[in-house]
Amino acid sequence: MGKMIIWETKMDVALARAKAEKKHILLDFFNPG
Amino acid sequence: MDAVTYPNESVVEFVQKNIIPLRVAFDAKPLATDFNVQWTPTLIVLDENGKEHHRTVGFFPSDELIPSLLLGIAKSHFDQERFSEALSTLDKLLSDYPKSDSAPEAIYLRGVCRYKSTHDPKPLKGAYEQLQANYPSSEWTKRAYPYRLL
Repeated sequence: MGKMIIWETKMDVALARAKAEKKHILLDFFNPG
Repeated sequence: MDAVTYPNESVVEFVQKNIIPLRVAFDAKPLATDFNVQWTPTLIVLDENGKEHHRTVGFFPSDELIPSLLLGIAKSHFDQERFSEALSTLDKLLSDYPKSDSAPEAIYLRGVCRYKSTHDPKPLKGAYEQLQANYPSSEWTKRAYPYRLL
């Protein structure tokens, strides 16, 4: 099995990581079906 | 996106290196309301403070998603007047993905970045000429049309 994107699921966690890692955030609104 | 784009090796590698991936359901409150989400997939590039700089709606193949994300990152730098970072991101987009759908907007934005960082109008005219030569039917060629006179 190949690598996969490891998604964050909480905005506050993503923001903390973005600040710590000096990166932007890709926010994907999806339909879980 | 789950079947084709997100499992793509290049996409996984790009995301791991360059951006924090955050995924929420289209009806998750309050985020879906805060961002006025009406359809899926809706992809938004945010800065480290959570401010939106780039939005797309609809499916992306893997070879279009990466340049779209690069464009979003460049637009964030541009919006915050970080023109050097914006230019390096746009250069990478245009070097690695010159045939992507994001390329014309990247050429336009690169011209604007160069103008705003130097106050020399020649990059605006250069952007128009490059757009006219390579993407004559692009909406970004039309938007740059006035710059032909500079």
